[in-house]
Amino acid sequence: MSEKFDVAIVGAGPSGLTAAYFLAKKGLEVVVLEKGGELGSKNMYGGRIYTHVLNRYFPEYTREAPVERWVRKEQLYFMTKNSAVKLEFFADDAFLKESFTAYLTKFVQWLGKKAEEAGVLIATGVRVDSLILEDNTVKGVIAGDDKLYADYTIIAEGANTLLLDNLNLKPMTKPEEVALGVKEVFRLDEERINERFGVNSEEGVAGLLVGFPSLGSIGGGFLYTMKNEITLGVVIRLDEPVKKKIKMYEVVEDFRMHPLIKKLLRDSYMIEYSAHFVLERGKLPDKYLYGDGYLVVGAAAGFELNTGLVVRGVDLAIESGKQAADTIIEAHEKGKQDKQTLASYISRLKNSFIYRELEAFKKAPRFLSNERLYNQYPEVVNEFLKEILTVNGTPRRLYSTFRKAMRNKVSLLDLIRDGLGAVRSL
Amino acid sequence: MSSAEKKLSIEERLALDVFNVDEEPHIIVEKDKCEKCELKPCLYVCPANLYTLDENGKIQFNYEGCLECGSCRVACPKEAVKWNHPRGGFGVQFRFG
Repeated sequence: MSEKFDVAIVGAGPSGLTAAYFLAKKGLEVVVLEKGGELGSKNMYGGRIYTHVLNRYFPEYTREAPVERWVRKEQLYFMTKNSAVKLEFFADDAFLKESFTAYLTKFVQWLGKKAEEAGVLIATGVRVDSLILEDNTVKGVIAGDDKLYADYTIIAEGANTLLLDNLNLKPMTKPEEVALGVKEVFRLDEERINERFGVNSEEGVAGLLVGFPSLGSIGGGFLYTMKNEITLGVVIRLDEPVKKKIKMYEVVEDFRMHPLIKKLLRDSYMIEYSAHFVLERGKLPDKYLYGDGYLVVGAAAGFELNTGLVVRGVDLAIESGKQAADTIIEAHEKGKQDKQTLASYISRLKNSFIYRELEAFKKAPRFLSNERLYNQYPEVVNEFLKEILTVNGTPRRLYSTFRKAMRNKVSLLDLIRDGLGAVRSL
Repeated sequence: MSSAEKKLSIEERLALDVFNVDEEPHIIVEKDKCEKCELKPCLYVCPANLYTLDENGKIQFNYEGCLECGSCRVACPKEAVKWNHPRGGFGVQFRFG
């Protein structure tokens, strides 16, 4: 390949493909380089996409996108080794279209098809090894012996930021800045999923599970119902396994053997086992998000949001792809590739929900690194309910039972401090 | 059968995945650096259990079965892991990612 493109995009995930789609629609020549042999084959996440950005940018998604189930039930579990407390929100009809479960692999294939229809060239099976750096400006990408020149380069390499790290375009990723997500997919027929989870074929469940799934370490479990499968997994901050002597390949199986989970998965069988990074740090500082000739989008830029109750990535990725496309369209009209011109990416992000929401939750990562959330509190909640619901002739009054459940686990002062922390950060 | 009733070994689970294994390893471990490493986080983070200890307590590594998450690269305190993605089109191929 010696041809020159207007824009080269590293990575065919939600952010890169969205950018490609909008750039091509404006007539720019766009190539997307994807290391996977097939679109979507390297993409992995838990299982849910929030629809607000799709309504805005791809309203046809309701007819076209590979939706598995619309989320009708939101579940939060506090788990100990043998028991669990479940909080469930059964959504009304208006809420139902807020999010759906899907495989990212299939969603990316759908988005890729739309980008191709818009005129994007997607080159799969191409690993980008480096960027062309001339006069301190990024001028395209290097893949093996091939150099591919482009006026603009978009780095959409995902949460495992190998290019950015290797080229010193940002500080090296540290273990506490990422978490490892491990996912298992179980096949079970549609009817049994419907019955077991109390939903119909179009509707499903999204669950977050706290405590036992991560063996009390910083992280948690997730559960999503697909049409004919249940996805189940564990996410743990990457500095935790060695500290707590937890083996990531074992913890997910321990979680699955919990009596409650075992019942949910009865008669199913595993069809895939996968792993991927999830971000813990929040977004990268602005100065790392753009430079002469390039922009960074999606998870590579740190655009994921975990509020403890809501875990998001795809919607932020799509929005950042759109903002990057708008930035480049404007710069292209001016015929400029320099950093000053591309800095408008930051002001666009600031005017978008990405910065508004990441700013609002910027203290969340610190609050969520409080070990009591994963260890003591799930124990206390389970202990309290077990005690108060026990009937054996000994009276169990509300407050004294609560204090008893907290004993040796959480002090009243801790409780007040953590309560205030939650109010301030979430 | 990969039934959900019982625990599955990591080998049983990896056997469910589709791999197009490259002859060229995409990860090189500089094992002499591992000897000075006390923590050895790789033994804990790798979701495919590709890092193991041999009878002499030395790190053994096999890149086949790699899920390409990048955990060993980020967790290694000795910069002993030379990590790359497999060459284009090779490696794991998620169908339900």
